[in-house]
Amino acid sequence: MNSQPTAKTELHKFVPRPSRAPAVYTYGVFGWMRKHLFGNVWNTLLTLVVFALLILLLKPFFEWAILNANWSAADRRECLTDSPDGACWSGVIRWFNNLIYGRYPNELQWRVNLGFCLGMIWLAPLALKKVKRKMVIAIMAIILFPFLGNYLFLGGENSSFNFIIACIALAYLLILYVDIAFVYLSRKTMGEYLEPLFRRIHKKRGALWGYLSSWLLVTVLFALIFQDLTLVLVPVDVWGGLFLTLIISGFAIVMALPIGILLALGRRSQMPVFRWFSICTIELVRSVPMITVLFMSVTMMPLFFPNTIELNKLVQVLVAVCIFAGAYMAETVRGGLQGIPRGQYEAAKSLGLGYWYTMAFIILPQALRDMIPNIVTSFISLFKDTTLVSIIGLFDIMLMARNISNDKKWLGLHSEPLIAISIIFFIFCYSMSQYSLYLEKKLKKNK
Amino acid sequence: MRALKKLIYNSSFRANFFQGLIVILILSVGYYLYSNTVENLRQMELPFGFDFLGSTAGFNIGWSIIPYDPTMSYGRVYLVGIVNTLLLSVLIIIFSTVLGFVVGIMRLSKNFMVSQLARWYVEFVRNVPLLIQIVFWFIVVFSTLPSPRQSYRLFDTLVLNNRGFYFPAPIFEANFLWSFLAIISALVGAFALLKWSQRYRKYSGKHRAALLPSLFALVLFVALIFVFTGKPLHWAVPTLQGFNFHDGFNFPISFLAAFVSMTIYRSATIGEAVRAGIQSIDKGQREAASAIGFPPFKTLRLIIGPQAARAILPPMINAWLTIVKESSLAVAVGFPELVSVFMQTSLNQTGRAIEIVLMVMGFYMCISLLISFLLNLYNTHIQMQEG
Repeated sequence: MNSQPTAKTELHKFVPRPSRAPAVYTYGVFGWMRKHLFGNVWNTLLTLVVFALLILLLKPFFEWAILNANWSAADRRECLTDSPDGACWSGVIRWFNNLIYGRYPNELQWRVNLGFCLGMIWLAPLALKKVKRKMVIAIMAIILFPFLGNYLFLGGENSSFNFIIACIALAYLLILYVDIAFVYLSRKTMGEYLEPLFRRIHKKRGALWGYLSSWLLVTVLFALIFQDLTLVLVPVDVWGGLFLTLIISGFAIVMALPIGILLALGRRSQMPVFRWFSICTIELVRSVPMITVLFMSVTMMPLFFPNTIELNKLVQVLVAVCIFAGAYMAETVRGGLQGIPRGQYEAAKSLGLGYWYTMAFIILPQALRDMIPNIVTSFISLFKDTTLVSIIGLFDIMLMARNISNDKKWLGLHSEPLIAISIIFFIFCYSMSQYSLYLEKKLKKNK
Repeated sequence: MRALKKLIYNSSFRANFFQGLIVILILSVGYYLYSNTVENLRQMELPFGFDFLGSTAGFNIGWSIIPYDPTMSYGRVYLVGIVNTLLLSVLIIIFSTVLGFVVGIMRLSKNFMVSQLARWYVEFVRNVPLLIQIVFWFIVVFSTLPSPRQSYRLFDTLVLNNRGFYFPAPIFEANFLWSFLAIISALVGAFALLKWSQRYRKYSGKHRAALLPSLFALVLFVALIFVFTGKPLHWAVPTLQGFNFHDGFNFPISFLAAFVSMTIYRSATIGEAVRAGIQSIDKGQREAASAIGFPPFKTLRLIIGPQAARAILPPMINAWLTIVKESSLAVAVGFPELVSVFMQTSLNQTGRAIEIVLMVMGFYMCISLLISFLLNLYNTHIQMQEG
């Protein structure tokens, strides 16, 4: 081919280089698998090892828990003869009611359900978009709901004070929902309808007066309706199960925020007395284990009060858990407060706002919003820590689950109840943590 | 009237007024509680005081490292509790930190299976209360191990059964002192050599492989001393006598359950801290390292590691602090740690609630003060390096 070679320059023959390998495609199922599972030898080996490990661990568990399990035996002996190497879920199923309600009498459990439903109904408007003044709803729930709960769960001859506040709570709930119905149906709140009526009493705050007087009216109505109704007394000793766990953790979660905010504000206060009081409380409580705080409240609190006062264990535990939760929450809130730039304080001051207005309307809303993920995290750990009350003998879900193995019919049934309550806790905690992740993402987007 | 108004709006007066009010409130509540306590104690005929620490405890403690028998005093019981608590927490701290690093690095793996395995491990472990996990390990895993006669054995020296884990204990003779001194001096020498080689490299730029040869020499030195003093170290191997194993050292299953469950539980926390710390390092650092030709492991050790340590250490030290506090949960499975022996048994026997609660809380407070002191020290150290 090279027919006319010149003397000076020698033409090279064109030899094409071997073409490069096509780029590894990373889309589609196979591409994804190549990228994440079988990229190279080492990766493939790792994948296989993990896969083998999973099969080795999960297969026996799956067989034990599902395939060979017994779901309907009458007692443990029947379970063992039926499937000796399978789980005996029937014990958990038979005891399920007790796991949820403790030893609360069967025919009265509707009260627990009603109480929790009312709580849910109360807090549901917080998720609605058109509802305003959510803060007021939440604060009302914190203040009023415990009385309503006490009236429903405990029953018995309540003091008239407690009865009236329970009526006030119910009335508030009713008015809240009437208001919401007005907002969604006619785009005007109930207060706006009532305002012309009450303008004579107060020129500017007619709506507020409307709300207050209708609240009072409904309260009186409820009080008249329910005045003869006395619920059967269910003493605290028989409360238990998930019900008790939720009461303790719910109480702690609800009280943690106000206590924590006060302690955190105190810690950053200019006044030495408040500052040192807060610092001492926070550091003291945070440096000891929760179980010692519980033991302290059980053993020392009876010494602190004259022996004419009857203290029940639940109250002692609630006090201990509240102090504990508050101290931890205080540090979380403090983290949020530290993240607020100075300019916010200065701007509030230049507008002439005092300390409490600055905190309530400028600083705290921002600080708490920034800290929502951390707050939820500490709620989760609080919820898990509630199991510690079983050590001092309260029949929460943990002690109830352990109690199953003492039942004559289910003697020695240990692992299944523990696994069952683990699953319950996992569902609660995991959904809470996922919710906090969702909130975190949403808040980041809003910024 | 005007003067009063002026006084009310005077901020420093208001501050002092409210603080005074709070002081009075705290003092009066304190006095109320104090007088009630005094009255109650008087009725129960229990004078306040720590004299009970000297009296005989009279109850047995299932397991302790330092010698204890029921004729000893409550003060000794307190000490036994503290030592047991500290041993448990130190072991948990070491193992959970190692496991936490493994989990944290696994979560960052590019391999989907590995990272998901680590992710679900963390999710499962941290969303189930620790107490349930402790009880689960105790009842479901360790209590169902075979009895001493059928126990699992490894090399005939390590024994695991439903009583506990047995392993050989070293018995030192008096001559071992020389070997001990040799080990100490060898360690000091190795450290000095390492420092010297670092300094040499810093000034001259040349690398002197000081570590390996010196290590070899030092090991040889220790071994020679050990042989010449007549091998003054023996092992007490656990042997089956009757129904149980004797000799050697053992951990009861309550210890094992607490140790394993807490190690796993906290490894999830530490793993998350490690992952967050490594992820907080800018991607550019890794890319820059690979651009100048650093291999992956060296990148991790010299570029990512030191920077991530700043982010990892504070949450990790917090986790350690939590471990010390959490070790009190071993009371649930009956491991004789501080809360169990002192706050439960001793308190039930003596009724000295206030003194005992104060002592137990005092111990935990000292520990957490110590650890937060170390954390602050480290923080100032880091800040000095940055500035």
